[in-house]
Amino acid sequence: MDERKQRAPISPGVTERPKPSRYRDDCPTAFSLDRRELLLGGLSLVGGLAVVPTLPAIAAAAAWSQESAARFMEISSLLIPHRLHEDVGKRIGAAMSGFNPSLSEQVAGLLAIAKNKNARIVEDFFPDVPEGPLKETALAIISAWYLGVVSDAPDAEVFAYEYTLMYGPTKDVMTIPSYAVSGPNGWTSDAPPLDSMPEF
Amino acid sequence: MASGDSADVVVVGTGVVGCLIAEQALDAGLSVLMLEAGPRVERWRIVENYRNLPPSIRLFHWDAPYPPKPWAPHLETRREKESEQYLQLEGPNARAYLQGYVRYAGGATWHWAGICWRLTPEDMRLKSLYGVGRDWPFGHDVIEPYYTRAEYALGVCGPSDPAQQWPPNVKRSKPYPMGPTPFGAGEHRLTEVAAKIGLMNIHAPQARNSGVSYDGRPPCCGNNNCFPVCPIAAKYDAATALPKIEAKGGRILANAVVHRIETGEKKTVEAVHHFDPDKGSHRVTAKIFVIACNGIETPKLLLFSKDDRNPNGIANSSDQVGRNMMDQPKLITDIEMAEPLWTGVGPVQSSSIMNTTQGEFRSNHAGALFRMENFARSPLGAAAALKKGLVGKALDKEIRRLSACTARLTIEHEPLPSPDNRLTLSSKKDWLGINKPNIYYDVGEYVRRSAREYTVPLLHKLAEGLGATSFQLSPEFLNSDHIMGGCIMGTDPKTSVVDPDCRAHDHHNLFLPGGGAMPSGTASNSTLTMTALALKAADAIVDQLRHG
Repeated sequence: MDERKQRAPISPGVTERPKPSRYRDDCPTAFSLDRRELLLGGLSLVGGLAVVPTLPAIAAAAAWSQESAARFMEISSLLIPHRLHEDVGKRIGAAMSGFNPSLSEQVAGLLAIAKNKNARIVEDFFPDVPEGPLKETALAIISAWYLGVVSDAPDAEVFAYEYTLMYGPTKDVMTIPSYAVSGPNGWTSDAPPLDSMPEF
Repeated sequence: MASGDSADVVVVGTGVVGCLIAEQALDAGLSVLMLEAGPRVERWRIVENYRNLPPSIRLFHWDAPYPPKPWAPHLETRREKESEQYLQLEGPNARAYLQGYVRYAGGATWHWAGICWRLTPEDMRLKSLYGVGRDWPFGHDVIEPYYTRAEYALGVCGPSDPAQQWPPNVKRSKPYPMGPTPFGAGEHRLTEVAAKIGLMNIHAPQARNSGVSYDGRPPCCGNNNCFPVCPIAAKYDAATALPKIEAKGGRILANAVVHRIETGEKKTVEAVHHFDPDKGSHRVTAKIFVIACNGIETPKLLLFSKDDRNPNGIANSSDQVGRNMMDQPKLITDIEMAEPLWTGVGPVQSSSIMNTTQGEFRSNHAGALFRMENFARSPLGAAAALKKGLVGKALDKEIRRLSACTARLTIEHEPLPSPDNRLTLSSKKDWLGINKPNIYYDVGEYVRRSAREYTVPLLHKLAEGLGATSFQLSPEFLNSDHIMGGCIMGTDPKTSVVDPDCRAHDHHNLFLPGGGAMPSGTASNSTLTMTALALKAADAIVDQLRHG
């Protein structure tokens, strides 16, 4: 008795999916290294649910120029007193502009406030940022650099992991998970004082 | 009939239990075919999956780096709706049976913490000593040599000082293969504070290479990523056993979902049938069949395979298949303290308070294990500080403070087996048309009384000792992912599913090893005991095939 059932019908135009190998890595390719690259107009499959980026995201990404990126880095550096990676900044800025079409204007507004105060660090001008969209955007920019994502969604694009700033304030003690900095059993129970702050 | 695949021993499931049995059988000169429902994967891909998760998901959603195949579903928790998809849970403590496991080749040891407690002699005699639960059908002296073999098979590190060992006052036949991993600052502080109130926080024996390479795997270098995946395989996971099994001539078929255990005359298991991803079915024969799919999937398969000869399911004349479902009902508290309890140094779990699991009180309420969680709290500190709208130096300072001065403490209570805590077949079916598992769970008064009168008050004391300024207890019991009891062991075929070798009472050539066989759940992580049972079953299988 032939127990093999009929193959499921395949939609026209769709090539036959490759058979999962019984011997080699056959995990779904939904999670590939490309995920850290900005997906422009691509579909990302998460557990079978397709997440379609909105059209404005594609249009805005095209409008996110080098000029926009440079100003984004400028305001980021004023808001955050730490080393910031330009590549990460380009991607965060472009992605944020997709969610927030007013980002360019808001960045310009924040820069204007900072220049007005001759600000060198965030404490110089942040009290002058008015409540509302400008402050929200300033905090969102800070959050994106610290957390490596620009949205709260459970399938949010991740722009940085080891370069996120959230690990900075404790990097003298706490490991960035999966980025061990010690050798075999190479850690101790020594703890630095709470009020010392690592440089990052 | 598609392909006449056959072997001396067919093992269904490539988790730690299945893999250990496969290797023992191969070493004894038997042929072995393993059937795994899910895919083979490479370690680097799981690590990349993990690193690409948003920070809100990266912690606690251990399933997220392991997206399941449609034909081998397991619990997904990224979105609340997802978590209702596969496991159908009901009862007053449904939430406590939201069990995470991985239907990939290698099984749940991909993401386990690696903790390897042995049972105490008392843990195995609850009925005789305390009048509750069930006794094991053999004593600690019988399982001790299997514990030793398990520790050497997995590579378990632990203390050589008997004063630091668990169980206390029980002689070990061999030392641990490796010495303990060092404590970080937080564990050191917890140990000191706990000692002041009579709680002994001791090094947890763990399947983690400590200071040296072991079995071709490197030593732990403190990635602090044990769950969801050790990036370097310093922590034992069964995926590392697969190439060894193949090198010894074992065959492993991935993406092969067994959907039917076929019985013949004289209660012999004749074959198992498995689907391929195109939903074609294949029949596989063997002399001995081992179903090692875990404490949920094994009883599910036994029930699903019911036939005219076995109308209540395979191996189920006792009606105990799927009953007595156990896990350690867990409570957690998140505390804020005046002083730091630094986490994120070394493994994510490295110690526990165990003396609270033992005592005469067990005739009245559950014992429980206490521990601090040692995963790096920096992402939590950062998220909380950002929510406060802080910027600049104030932000960094608050991130550091919240990361260092908050902690999560965990209690895991021992469960009792109850026939009402039961796995049955849901009317809902998965992609292959196999019924999803439905589980009714109630932790019971034995556990609730323990929480009220014993563990939660003690937890408050511990938190006080740590200088806690706030204390937030989970509102309900949670899962610990130690699935036990669904194929319970005993000498009486009327009240148990398997015999002391994990052989099904009803079918002489069917073995059901794993957590499902354990007659007592106890408060300690179950994997080492499951592994010892696997080796005991392997001895019985080899003996049976050699001598009939």
